[in-house]
Amino acid sequence: MTRLPWWVGGILMSLLLLLTFSVLGADRPIGASTYVPYFAGLIFDLDSEKYSYLKEIQNPGAWEGVMLMGALFGGFITSVFITKSFRISLIPTGWRKYKNNSVLSRLLWSFFAGFIMIIGARLAGGCTSGHFMSGMSQLAVSSMIFGGVVLVVVIVTGRLFYNVKEK
Amino acid sequence: MALFERVEQMFETVIQQGHGSLALVFLIGVVFGGIIQYTRVDKFEKIAGFAMLKDTIVPKMLFLAVGLTSIGLYFLIEAGGAHYHIKPVMWQGLIIGGTLFGISMAILGKCPGTGPISIAEGRIDVLVGAIGGLLGGLVFTLYYDDFFKPLMGESAGKLILTEFFKGHEHTVVLVYGIVITLIAIAIPKMELYDEADLAQLPEDERPDKKA
Repeated sequence: MTRLPWWVGGILMSLLLLLTFSVLGADRPIGASTYVPYFAGLIFDLDSEKYSYLKEIQNPGAWEGVMLMGALFGGFITSVFITKSFRISLIPTGWRKYKNNSVLSRLLWSFFAGFIMIIGARLAGGCTSGHFMSGMSQLAVSSMIFGGVVLVVVIVTGRLFYNVKEK
Repeated sequence: MALFERVEQMFETVIQQGHGSLALVFLIGVVFGGIIQYTRVDKFEKIAGFAMLKDTIVPKMLFLAVGLTSIGLYFLIEAGGAHYHIKPVMWQGLIIGGTLFGISMAILGKCPGTGPISIAEGRIDVLVGAIGGLLGGLVFTLYYDDFFKPLMGESAGKLILTEFFKGHEHTVVLVYGIVITLIAIAIPKMELYDEADLAQLPEDERPDKKA
């Protein structure tokens, strides 16, 4: 099978969340946005004693950093051997279809979106993994607020940004 | 300190904080990346496709995972097998942050967890997005005390839904878990396929050709 159905994916993701939460696992939630400022600190050689935010995220940042390395590895292996989707590409098919054919446009928008994505995630204190999956699974009110705002904004942006009606 | 040493220190930090061994944390990542890649929810057509309401696999899978986990996790915590890790309600941070996050998720067609999986399968545009993200992380770190922390506002506490229904916690958790699971099932299934991806598969293994 080259693709896993959504419900199998949902069940497996749930089991992974439970394992990660459990004291037999990591006794913490899965998160995937704290590693970005952590890596920024690593790459630009910032002193964690000087920047209070880096000090705050030392432990979760490192944890997610290692998890991310695993995710890159797992994603790569799966894309080569199972989904056979590995290929070098500059512009998604859907972008060509619903936005434009310009690689430059795609790259500039990607850069801009990546920039505000991390600022947004860190302002909110989480992302799809930390808030939506891990937070809402704990019935956290903050995560429900985040999830609601993101759902609405994603759909509004999709409507305004893309030529939805074409084709 | 050289970059290599700083990476070594990251491993050391993980080993010392007691949230699983280095190997386990790496393995959690491998499985996380494997599930995302195998279900293809990292694809532009799935995430931006949802923003355009042409694909619903991402919300279906997310809601199912949350619904099932919420029930399992509550009883796991009650039995002492796990702990709460609740993020505080900071209205300004959640609304401003959620808005920026939603806009960027629709445009990039990735989030911070799925983006790396796309980079791992050779998507250069997402790598450019990640460089933008690193700079975003840098700016956030540099101006945290002066700008971003005040922007997040005051914490209204680490609230949990069950706190509002004292004495009925079990019912609330069960109803919540079942309703979220039912939402996952009820969302109409729509799929936006990427021809460039499927063309790499043998004819009889293409998911769009199956019933």
